[in-house]
Amino acid sequence: MTVEPWVVATGLIFVYLLATIVLGIVANRRMTVDMEDFLLYGRKAGFVVLYLTVVATFHSAFAFLGSGGFFYTHGIGFWAAGTWTLLVGAITYVLGPRIWALGKAFGYITPADMLADYYESEAVRVAVAIVSVVFTILYIQVQAQGLGYIINVASGDRISFELGTLILLVVAATYLMAGGLRAVYWTDVIQGVWMYLAVWIGATYLAYELFGGPVELWRQVREVHPELLSLPGPRGFFTPGMWIGMTITLSFGIVFQPHMMIRYYTAVDSKTLKLLGATTPIYLMTLYIPAALVGLGGAVAMPGLEVPDTIFPELLFAHAPPILTGVILAGATAAAMSTLDSILHANMSVLTRDVYQRYIVRDASQSHYVWVGRGIVVALLVVGYFLSVRTFDFLVVLVTLSGSGALQLGPAIVGVCFPGPRTLTRSGVLTGLVGGLVVLYLTLVVIPHPLGMHGGLWALLVNTALAVGVSMVTAPPSEETRARIHGEVEREVYGSPS
Amino acid sequence: MPRTRDGWIATIAFVALFLLAMPPVTHTVWNRVDPTVGGFPFLFVALLAVYCALVGVLVWALRRGV
Repeated sequence: MTVEPWVVATGLIFVYLLATIVLGIVANRRMTVDMEDFLLYGRKAGFVVLYLTVVATFHSAFAFLGSGGFFYTHGIGFWAAGTWTLLVGAITYVLGPRIWALGKAFGYITPADMLADYYESEAVRVAVAIVSVVFTILYIQVQAQGLGYIINVASGDRISFELGTLILLVVAATYLMAGGLRAVYWTDVIQGVWMYLAVWIGATYLAYELFGGPVELWRQVREVHPELLSLPGPRGFFTPGMWIGMTITLSFGIVFQPHMMIRYYTAVDSKTLKLLGATTPIYLMTLYIPAALVGLGGAVAMPGLEVPDTIFPELLFAHAPPILTGVILAGATAAAMSTLDSILHANMSVLTRDVYQRYIVRDASQSHYVWVGRGIVVALLVVGYFLSVRTFDFLVVLVTLSGSGALQLGPAIVGVCFPGPRTLTRSGVLTGLVGGLVVLYLTLVVIPHPLGMHGGLWALLVNTALAVGVSMVTAPPSEETRARIHGEVEREVYGSPS
Repeated sequence: MPRTRDGWIATIAFVALFLLAMPPVTHTVWNRVDPTVGGFPFLFVALLAVYCALVGVLVWALRRGV
């Protein structure tokens, strides 16, 4: 009896989903009813777990689907991805230990905790919480859409995009609610390993199956689509301004999102974060090598795809054995879910800590807040689902929009983490943030990317100028707060207060 | 700002190498297919070499305790 490919592919994805739920249940048994444990893994994450959760969270449906689609459409310019992955490593190396030290010393759980404490402002807390949630909800949409694509393609259109999205959202929310961040981290370990192996094995298999190897693949791309091998690409997308803009927004912009920043709080010590910063680019950057083979090879082997993002699964179904296709698509599912669960968790943390605990019910038990967090996950699931099925757009553009929003937190974060003779003020960072978001809207929606420079970068420039300018004429945080927080940074980074 | 010699070396090396992966270098010097290396286009290989060197700087900084 021959089993149809879609049965194998869909079956393997469901086996994988079951495994994540089992891990969630096991994590639940290890959990203590305490917000630090539920939201921050008890600040005990060691190198291996933290490494795999960071890389799995950074790489999402976008790495599996969007990047292949981007190489397919815009050519080799997407290899710029290496620049932002390297920058993520450097940012983690420099910023990670500072954020970790402040989180540990002052009990911060969310990015807004840190910023509101330093700038002595509840308005800053609310503004940061809003930016954190609004822009990462877009990211939930991206991941959920990626999951819908994957399961829809894997099942040969037997499971609709909408149903696939719902199933995978429910599974991610279930293990998150069961085991908190511990469940997210444990599943991310599997997901991080699985997705890396899957994309490399799948791309290598296709390169040999379709072309006899990567060398011949490149030769044929050069012969058939030479325009894909130079900058700015066949549609002129990768202009210098866009290259720089994507580098900044997809590095700083993603690191400043709450689901990444919260990971810095969870490390067991600061050395772990430095090691993480030095080594994560190896994983993050090398994942785009097979993506290039898939996208560029796909442009030769399967031209004219209506939805370029589906090039990888389409090639697998057409040319790979069912079992391999299933394993790889489960890896793609892992890529999307590992990011989705982290975003759900981060939004839950922000809404529970910065909104509910702060403004609605202040002095309830730890157990109360854990249950409220679980309720918030259900609400986020509903919002994420409706956002996902109502709009449909090119994955990477949405990711860029998400990164551009969080990027606007940059000046405020730098003001906290880098002690100096002058500092930003609460009025400065709030004015900069509002100005940056207005400019972001103008330069991404009204007049996209003026003068060929990425809208996120225009917004950051205006934001920074406003933050610095207004800070020069308004009252800084108190000397006591500056000494307390900057003193802690000095102790961590330089060994003694300045 | 870095406060040690090793800190300065790591910072300058990282920034200098990073600029090699940015315009205008990418869109002029590296922007060609030939010579290929192992079949891979020059642009791809040149950027890969820069990326590997950048990882090297980060690892060096880690080993030096920067």
